[in-house]
This record gives sequence, structure tokens and C-alpha cells, in this order.
Amino acid sequence: MMLQINFKSGKPVYLQVVDQIKTAAASGTLQAGEALPSIRPLAEELRVNRNTIAKAYSELENQGVIETLPGKGCFVLPNNSPLKKDVRRKLLIEEIDQAIVQAHHLQVAPSEFLDLVRERLCVIQQKQRASERALAAEQK
Amino acid sequence: MTMNEPTAIIEIKALRYDYGKTEAVHDFNLTVHAGRCYGLFGRNGAGKTTMMKCVLNLLRPHSGSVRLFGLDPAKHEVEVKRRLAYVPDYVAFYPWMSVRETLDYLSSFRAHWNRDLEHDLLNRFRLNPTQRTAALSKGQRTQLALISAICPEPELLLLDEPTSGLDPIVRREFIETVIGAYQEGDPGKRTILVSTHLITEFEGLIDEFTLIDHGRDVLTLDADQARSRYQKIRARFSEPAPAIEFKGALHSRRNGRELEIIANGEGAQIMETLRRLSPESLTAEALTLEEVFVATLK
Repeated sequence: MMLQINFKSGKPVYLQVVDQIKTAAASGTLQAGEALPSIRPLAEELRVNRNTIAKAYSELENQGVIETLPGKGCFVLPNNSPLKKDVRRKLLIEEIDQAIVQAHHLQVAPSEFLDLVRERLCVIQQKQRASERALAAEQK
Repeated sequence: MTMNEPTAIIEIKALRYDYGKTEAVHDFNLTVHAGRCYGLFGRNGAGKTTMMKCVLNLLRPHSGSVRLFGLDPAKHEVEVKRRLAYVPDYVAFYPWMSVRETLDYLSSFRAHWNRDLEHDLLNRFRLNPTQRTAALSKGQRTQLALISAICPEPELLLLDEPTSGLDPIVRREFIETVIGAYQEGDPGKRTILVSTHLITEFEGLIDEFTLIDHGRDVLTLDADQARSRYQKIRARFSEPAPAIEFKGALHSRRNGRELEIIANGEGAQIMETLRRLSPESLTAEALTLEEVFVATLK
């Protein structure tokens, strides 16, 4: 997994780490049970404050994406959010609304927007399948 | 002080220091809380080193107050110095001593010295313990100073222009060592104050910063906040760009059909106004800390 920090995105650095790890977990680049790099080497590699990585990991833990096993490290959890379904839907709706507003301002028509959503879903599903195949080949 | 209030490791209030008739630092305020990595950014001659020397009690402030760990460094010199370490921009060692002798000499002043860490860092920097310090390069002297600052595992690490004049590889290793070897220990008790004009390379490390200019603190902000508040907005029109004054624009520049605005906190409104003028393209990106520095001081 390769993380990249962009100081020009205006997004807090710890959130960039959170989002990239969530993306990696969703696309199968990171599999359930897989270990995340420990805080120190990742902080050194990205040359960001150690506390920034610690904050990102504790946020991922709060969101139920990873778990910390004392003395062993942080591991990706199976996709099993502790939140109730209506809460999960509500959180997603906020994100979708933001994308819709953004689409309006970027003059992307509703039909084109829906096509794009389908296209992106396909891309991510393909990545998931590729990761699963790679994993299966590794286990043989 | 209540229990919930974060501890101020450094607290400077209304500091003033003059060299003869030249005011070096005046009305200067700074608060650094425990566990933070704090940047002091300024141009050459802005007063960074004078400020650092007042913190270290190498210069006595002409007025105002300096407190470290809640103590007056002039009255509690030993107690304060025991808990901090300092890497200056120019490092002097006794030239006749070897690297090994220098570390033994410096560690003799310290109650605590992490020998394993010293061993790791000597290897990491490929320093030869038998070499005399007179024969060390500038980069190697800084590395030796960093080892001697980190091995006592102090609560406060003061870095004054630590990487200026060093090659890129040595600069990288320096910062990685500060992140890895220093911050690793006990994150709540590892506070860093770094003064530099090489802002880009410390960008990821900095939690909070103060811009110092002509001896005054001109801007103090959280790094993430700064990057979300300051934006560079670019618009291109099909006709010559309109000449409009924007509220909250720090700078604006018109060049034919193009318009570039540096926004401070009012980015969203400026974007909205520009959108109504139907530009061909409209983009916004955050300013890096170095760009915030340039935009504020120019």
C-alpha cells in the first residue's frame, strides 16, 4: 500500500491517511486481517508527524475499519460496521449530497452523474476481484 | 491551572530584546503545548535566533517573560536545562576530541542517556567513533549534535535552523530521525520547537506555527487550519478578466484573460462570485505553509 500526502488538497493530513486506507480496504488492496504498517516507519516514510499517523489510526479504529492488538499492531477488520443500518445510510447520504452539489457546480448533468457513479462502482469492483484473484493465487 | 488545560511547555509573553538601538524582538508572544511540533518561521534576520537564545537564557530579555515547563529559566537554569536539548545552526565541538570522546563528554552532563539509541544513530549516520570532530563535515557535525540532543530523551527539543546548508540526503535523514527516534519515545512528552526558513521540508512535521517578521509574531495558526483557510484561486475567462475587488483576497493578479487570487478564509464566497461570471475554467488549491509564509510577508 502506497500512501501519498498532498499539502495542496486543503484536507487535514490525518484525514488523507484515513481516506486512503479506507479506499485501500474497500478496493481489496488491503485485505481483512492484513497488518497496517506500524506508526513509526509510516511517519518516517511520509515524513509527517508521528502524532498525525497515530490520530489517523485511532480515527480508523473508531470507525471500525481497523483494530489495534496491543503489542502486535493494527489490523484491517472485515467489513462489518458497528453502526446501525439507518446511521450508515445517513452518513452515506451526506457524502452523496456533497457529490451532487459538486456535480451541479461542475456542470455535470444528472444522467451523466449517474453514469459516472456506475462506472466508478465497476472500476472499484474490478479492483476488488483482481485483489481476490491475486490472493487466491498466492495461497495456492 | 485546571487538570484539563494542556500544559504549556513554552510560554513567551510580550518579549522584547534590543541590540543597542536595533529592536530585534518586540511584543513577541508564543505558546507551545506538550506533545506538539511547533514551527517558528521567518526570513533571515527576522529575530528567530534572538528568540531562541532568550528561550535558552543565553540572552536575558529586556522586558516580557519567558517560562519553560512553567519555570523562569533565569531562576531555575539547571532544572530547565536538564529537561531540554538544543541543536544550533552552527555546531562547535572541541576539535581535539573524537566522536566517541565528544559523546562521553556531553553525556557526563546528563542524568539519563540512551546508549542503545546512541549506537543506532551512530550506525544510521555512518559516523566513525574514532574520528576527531575537527575532521567532520558540516552535515556530520549536525548529525553528532542531533545524537547528543536526542540521547538524553529530553521533554523539549529546540532546533534552530538545523538543516540550512546541509545536502538533501542529510536533511531528509535529519527529519526522519526527529520523527522516528525522538518522537517515538513518549509522544505526550516530546515537544519540538523548530525555527527555519526551509518550510517545505518540515511541512509534514509541523502541527502549529508562528510567522515572525521584524521581531514580531505576525501570524499564529494550526497547520491544517492554515491549509484550509488560505487558497489560491485561478479563473480563466473567454474575454479579458474582470477587474473586481474581492473581500478577503490577500493578493490578486490579472494577466489578460486570467485571474489569480490568494484568498484568506473567504475562498468559498470568492469562488461563488467568480462562478457567476461564467469563467472558462475555475480552480482552487490550498496554499502550502511556504506559500502562506510568502503571501503573508510579501
